[in-house]
Amino acid sequence: MTDDVEVAQAEPAAPRYLAPDDVGLVAPRDFVHREPFTFKSGQVIPGFTLRYETYGQLNTTRDNAILICHALSGDHHCAGWHSPADKKPGWWNNLIGPGKAVDTRRFFVVCANVLGGCQGSTGPSSINPETGRAYGTTFPFVTIRDMVRAQKLLLDHLGVVELHGVIGGSMGGMTAMLTAIEYPKFTRRVLAMATTGREGAQAIAFNEVGRQAIMQDPAWNRGDYPRDAGPRTGLAIARMMAHITYVSDASMERKFGRRKKETAATDAYTFETQFEVEGYLRHQGQSFINRFDANTYLYITRALDQFDLAHAYGSLEKAFAPVEGDTLIVGFTSDWLFPPEQNRALALALLRAGKRASYAELSTDLGHDSFLLESEELYSLVRAFLERGQHYDSNYSI
Amino acid sequence: MSRPAEKRTVDMQIIAEWVEPGARVLDLGCGSGALLDYLVQTKKVSAVGVDLDFGRITASVRRGLSAYQGDMTTFMQAFPEKHFDRVICSRTVQELADPTAVITEALRVGRALTVGFVNHGFWKNRVNALLQGRKIRNAVYTTEWFESRPSNPLTIADFEHFCAAKGIRIARRAHLAGNWHTPSRTWPNLLAGYALYDLAR
Repeated sequence: MTDDVEVAQAEPAAPRYLAPDDVGLVAPRDFVHREPFTFKSGQVIPGFTLRYETYGQLNTTRDNAILICHALSGDHHCAGWHSPADKKPGWWNNLIGPGKAVDTRRFFVVCANVLGGCQGSTGPSSINPETGRAYGTTFPFVTIRDMVRAQKLLLDHLGVVELHGVIGGSMGGMTAMLTAIEYPKFTRRVLAMATTGREGAQAIAFNEVGRQAIMQDPAWNRGDYPRDAGPRTGLAIARMMAHITYVSDASMERKFGRRKKETAATDAYTFETQFEVEGYLRHQGQSFINRFDANTYLYITRALDQFDLAHAYGSLEKAFAPVEGDTLIVGFTSDWLFPPEQNRALALALLRAGKRASYAELSTDLGHDSFLLESEELYSLVRAFLERGQHYDSNYSI
Repeated sequence: MSRPAEKRTVDMQIIAEWVEPGARVLDLGCGSGALLDYLVQTKKVSAVGVDLDFGRITASVRRGLSAYQGDMTTFMQAFPEKHFDRVICSRTVQELADPTAVITEALRVGRALTVGFVNHGFWKNRVNALLQGRKIRNAVYTTEWFESRPSNPLTIADFEHFCAAKGIRIARRAHLAGNWHTPSRTWPNLLAGYALYDLAR
């Protein structure tokens, strides 16, 4: 494009948050549970807070709720905008909204920051009411099951009697599956993407490198650090490394290749940032430390590593035995963190257990984060799964 | 109703007749799930379909079916013996890269196997090949060779020979005339347009 055209002044472009298929401006809320909560480890906290958002309206039968489950570094803000000045909407804004695949005109969408998180829910950076200081590493060990149980208390509080569906990618997929296992009568549909029944050695290995980066940073101080300080270097390195595992060789090649930063002298031998990909990763690391707590990173990666459905229930089939809802598992060809085989294994185990389960695989080159992809194919699959049987009317009279 | 659609419904009816109500059914090459949907509605089966294509899986999911995107042989290998009451291989067998492997595996995971295929020994197909000297194109096979998946144009005689050679028991067979409607009893390899087989180990 080389045209230089005068911009019409009459009507400024409508802000994106005012788009008809956008949930618009949203505000988080806090659910405060004032009773003791016992973790799987047996450890107890006197109460907890979950920060959450909802979009759409709960219907009179209270059964049109869709629970969205976030991944490791995600949060409760999955759609809409907190302020007109926001640069970015919620992390799954492309999927959720009026008329979108998760249609907020029909569904009451709920998304909460997990227990153990750091975006407003109770976690290691929260103040322990008994000591007046942050929990740090005295916070109880968190499991995916603890997150699921806490989330269920929120749904009960909201008056949801039955989930139309629970949707999540990556760790969110684990949370979604476990919701269906723990609350089978409550969960009518499960949609788990880019997930696994248990991490392989490679995924655990990456998490361990991230944890070591944090724990080897002197500022970690065995988890005891002020709220605005802490192991910022370690956390940034953990994020840089993890970010590589969320994308793919092909997508990085396309986005950066070997391009160098404009400021970098072409052939100079220096340890300053030279390649664009380096600058990008540093930016990822730096922006992460401003929004994420290092101890939460330790706790949640540990929860991911320890999640093992087959081990916890005897076998995958036994784990899925209680499931009553319909299940859809989606894998992505370029996901090398939770690869297609691990997603397929879930669907096959569900089918062996005699459950209604489907598996679809999308060809992408964007790696693990493909589940966040803007893809009409993915949208139409999600819509088909959520809305099936409601408009479809087949006539086989011969 | 267009001719191919009409033909399709007749073939679905016969397949349905052989399915026990409430059976656990696996459809190899389920497409958009039309056959399984029909079996769910008429026979209350518990259905699973396998297909390679994302769009077809989406269509099957939209119908409320269980559908698995992937290779059918690998899929079946993940199941114990006799997991399914019936496996269906309808208008798929001619496109299989390794028909023996698929049919052997289907007879392991299924108590019974329905195979349905177009009989390329049908006289019109023979005449067509003789006169045109070209790949068959008609209401069923609408595509040019270069737009189609590789295909083994098998005949009823070919299939019967396969079953005999592999020791596969034929529990039932249905041969339909060129209209795919009227039963075809004499000289099926020459006079039948469509064949359905109910197989067992």
